[in-house]
Amino acid sequence: MSNRSKLIVTGKPFRYDQERDVEFERLVKRYPTRESMILPALWLIQEQEGWISAEAIAYIADRIGTFASQVYECATFYTMYNLHPTGRNHICICRTLSCWLRGKQEIVDYLKNELGLKPGEISADGKFSLEEVECLGHCGTAPVVQLNGEFHESMDVDKLKSLLATLK
Amino acid sequence: MAEMVKLFVNGREVEVESGKNLIDAFKVIGVEIPHFCYHPALGADGNCRMCLVGIEDGRPPLVPACKTLVSPGLKVQLDTEKIKKIQRDMMEFELINHPIDCPVCDQAGECTLQDYYMSYDLQDSRMTVPVVAKGKRMDLGCGVVHDQERCVLCARCVRFTRLITKTGELGIVNRSDEARVEVFPGRPLNNRYAVNVVDLCPVGAMTSRDFRFTQRAWFLTKDKGICHGCAKGCNIYIDHNREKYKDDVIYRFRPRLNDQVNGYFMCDEGRLTYHAENEGRLQVCRLEGKDCLQDYAIQSAKALLGPKALMLVSPNCSMEQMIAIKALSEACGAKLSGYSDGYIKTGDGDDWLIQDDKSANRAGLALLGIDCTKETFTGLLNGSDVLVSFNNDLFVHETGNEFLQRLEKIKIVAIATHDGTLIQKASIAIPVASYSESSGSVVNKDGLLQHFVRAVQKNVLPLDMIALCGTLGGPVATESDAVNEMKKVIPSLTDMIPEGGVKLTASEAAHVPA
Amino acid sequence: MEVKILSAKFDIKDAHTLEVAKQHGAYSRLEKLFSMEPVAVIEEVKSSGLRGRGGAGFPAGLKWSFLPKGLNKPVYLTVNSDESEPATFKDRFILVRDPHLLIEGIIICCYAIGCHDSYIYIRGEYTTQVKALQAAIDEAYAAGYLGENVGGYGFKLDVTVHRGAGAYICGEETALLESIEGKKGQPRSKPPFPAVEGLYGCPTIINNVQTIASLPYILENGADAYKQYGTEKSPGTHLFGISGHVQKPGMYELPLGLPILDVIEKVAGGVLNGKKLKAIIPGGSSTPVLTPEEAKTVTLDYESMAAHKTMFGSGGIVVLDETVDIVKLVENLAQFYHHESCGQCTPCREGLGWILKIVKKILKGEGSMEDINLLVELCDNIEMKTVCVLSAACTMPVRSYLNKFRHEFEAYVKKGASAQADVKQG
Repeated sequence: MSNRSKLIVTGKPFRYDQERDVEFERLVKRYPTRESMILPALWLIQEQEGWISAEAIAYIADRIGTFASQVYECATFYTMYNLHPTGRNHICICRTLSCWLRGKQEIVDYLKNELGLKPGEISADGKFSLEEVECLGHCGTAPVVQLNGEFHESMDVDKLKSLLATLK
Repeated sequence: MAEMVKLFVNGREVEVESGKNLIDAFKVIGVEIPHFCYHPALGADGNCRMCLVGIEDGRPPLVPACKTLVSPGLKVQLDTEKIKKIQRDMMEFELINHPIDCPVCDQAGECTLQDYYMSYDLQDSRMTVPVVAKGKRMDLGCGVVHDQERCVLCARCVRFTRLITKTGELGIVNRSDEARVEVFPGRPLNNRYAVNVVDLCPVGAMTSRDFRFTQRAWFLTKDKGICHGCAKGCNIYIDHNREKYKDDVIYRFRPRLNDQVNGYFMCDEGRLTYHAENEGRLQVCRLEGKDCLQDYAIQSAKALLGPKALMLVSPNCSMEQMIAIKALSEACGAKLSGYSDGYIKTGDGDDWLIQDDKSANRAGLALLGIDCTKETFTGLLNGSDVLVSFNNDLFVHETGNEFLQRLEKIKIVAIATHDGTLIQKASIAIPVASYSESSGSVVNKDGLLQHFVRAVQKNVLPLDMIALCGTLGGPVATESDAVNEMKKVIPSLTDMIPEGGVKLTASEAAHVPA
Repeated sequence: MEVKILSAKFDIKDAHTLEVAKQHGAYSRLEKLFSMEPVAVIEEVKSSGLRGRGGAGFPAGLKWSFLPKGLNKPVYLTVNSDESEPATFKDRFILVRDPHLLIEGIIICCYAIGCHDSYIYIRGEYTTQVKALQAAIDEAYAAGYLGENVGGYGFKLDVTVHRGAGAYICGEETALLESIEGKKGQPRSKPPFPAVEGLYGCPTIINNVQTIASLPYILENGADAYKQYGTEKSPGTHLFGISGHVQKPGMYELPLGLPILDVIEKVAGGVLNGKKLKAIIPGGSSTPVLTPEEAKTVTLDYESMAAHKTMFGSGGIVVLDETVDIVKLVENLAQFYHHESCGQCTPCREGLGWILKIVKKILKGEGSMEDINLLVELCDNIEMKTVCVLSAACTMPVRSYLNKFRHEFEAYVKKGASAQADVKQG
């Protein structure tokens, strides 16, 4: 997490696409202050681009009418916001308590030893990125893996192999 | 008179002002509650936990003093073993990831961590694991340098840019012990009050590039002064020192609290005007372009005084100086003007401290009825053979250029603190003491009369302007002479001017144009 | 032992759709609701003894009664669906399998407290869950159960889903409010309390999803019916999550007050693969650990837990068998809390990192007995000196592991010391 606050400056301006633009305007009406849009607006960027650049943060700060530093704070504080690009398929493995007790480490070790993929990294071909995350709220079906936002419960190395084989 | 409230601190009954939090209330009675993040101008944040105090029979029994208002009968405990241990523990947490680089840190000698360690801690370190590494010497803009390792994350600097300047350049990013003060890339500090965060920072995390490594705080003599950068008259500390074999030099200005003027802050430009006190000074008397002895210069100048002389007063002169000059002009029959349009930078001021008028005592000219209009000055100049400038730089912001033709034809006597175009053209130039080297009173744009005392004592004492007026034949030759005269102009002034200044009454202020 | 009060519709096919939900009673309580005075609704909820199901267990009706009267400010309800406490996995079932139960509960609460704008704060990781919830909300709007004229009873109510983005601390009520307002989830000092000065400075009630979802049952059947379940001071049912080394981990709705060992044995099938029980985490990772001996007299309610110097918490039970290395478990938990600390106040920000580093040091074989003592002392130094209770959520369990399993820490120290001696000699 230590370099999390080092944003990537792409050098290219950012703006919402048509769909996100409409959604922004729809959401802004549901809050009494425009600042409340900071978290939703950051999500819209991530939906559109997969990650959040410095230009994107500046864009929504100006659009909302707040300080870039405040949006910057939120973008770094909330760890689900990707501040650099991920692989085409982003794998999140829960590392906490019950998933740890029920074998998450085997899955992490498999990815490291067999695919050379360590937490925090993107694979060389850009196909995967891996992140160890905190409790995902699926402790009863531990260990759990969240792949591209979808939950995969009661995972083990074999199931993971099958799952990864289905991905592009 | 504020409403008072009786409560207990360490078992002793005291009387404190109602409506205040415990930190402020107890400060007045001389009881310190240590704290980092609270600041009266910024409000309470409650994040440092250093101000935790015990409340006997309290629910809860442990409260942050910054967020607790005084209430009757409250039993505050500061010196129990429990509270002392908490203070030691909080200090321990502040110090475990702190580089303790006092030998290279500007803040040493005026550092809250150092002071509180001596007062509340004095323990050895128990840190046997790797420290958290952070950024060093980061340029945040506007001459503010940030050392993240020293930062205690009190958020004073962030609150300053959000609540006071409302420019919001600073933020604290990340969570946990990854938290850092940062600026958004491409949007560094960019306001005219940024360097105040250096004063606000309780530790050496925010330092001023201008001051960094120039002087140790404990060598500085910290005298009270008034900034002469503009008509606001912000109260300052003049921090100066005479190093061995050298002269008394100012190392920095810092804002000084005055609720009637500038609160806790000052602008960056005013802060840096100390350079002008040190540099570009007129050092030696000159006669027709050559250095000369002071007596000779003064006698030559005296010979030129008379009805054909025009005295030009600076709006930066103190009340006392203006009175002495006016008396001198009356005594020798010379004309008098305070024309100084060049000191006004129209449109530069803002809605807080910075004023268009870059002079400190224009109101004094009005109070004494000294005409400042351009028409009058031009007429007088055309009708005079001698121009005697009392520290009025006619060429400030090039406004003097239109008078060049006339100035070629007359003799110029320049009595000045600084060298410059007018002094170069002068037949006689006489250096005098500047405001940091003399005492005086000034009236700011809000009609507040403030007094300042000499701070800097040069090895060779520069000539006092009032004494010079006396030597030139004026009846007002000393500060006390001038003060007596001042009381006639300001009848409400019966005694010494109080610290913090005094507002002129409506009738006195009526002389003073808005 | 299991009951089906909250989970009544969980196994009914398509019960998340409005059509099927209505067939099974969704929104059938509105007629009764709007015929009552709001104050009477609050009294009914108070009388039921319903306690907040987020982990703090504060009586819900009592919390609602703290709202000041006559303030010229809007009242807000925020529903806490942050569910990030390790071992907790209950609220998401409601969101996916019976979202209309939650929406109806929101209507009941908002009518009682005079709120016309409600926000559901859902953790960012719950991607499928937020879609299910939003779909149900859209259905409710379309059918007129939300919006300008709820059910035709002239009551206006808007519900907005606000997604979090990966911060456990946003489960803390004031941090949740900060997050909705567009700031970092840094908890506020209390007082002032949210009921007086909360969201946007207005009176605000924050309740857990399960708490709100319990309201339709109470309204329909009455407080007394609710009190038939559970114990006198801990009435009702709870969606317990049982995980860790058990045969049948999962979510089970049970009345409060059952013996914990019975539940582990009979509901969750006992310790995994017949291994020996080493310890039990009773209510989420923030609760002090129980030894098997202590667990013999523990029942799943607030009072019994408090008497055993632990907490009921979120009802997330984690079973630890003999293979668990307690020191590594503490490292796992300390890492979690250190990662999730908001960083605002000094003791938590610096202290949790310090605790984690010392545990790692001990695990590496470089620790000393002083380090173990220091860990215990740090737990005391940090706890209760902070703005919020995240620090206590770390220090209370860590202290319990140090107290009850100190020998495991000492073993690492002794092993490390002898290993160091070998290195020096060899």
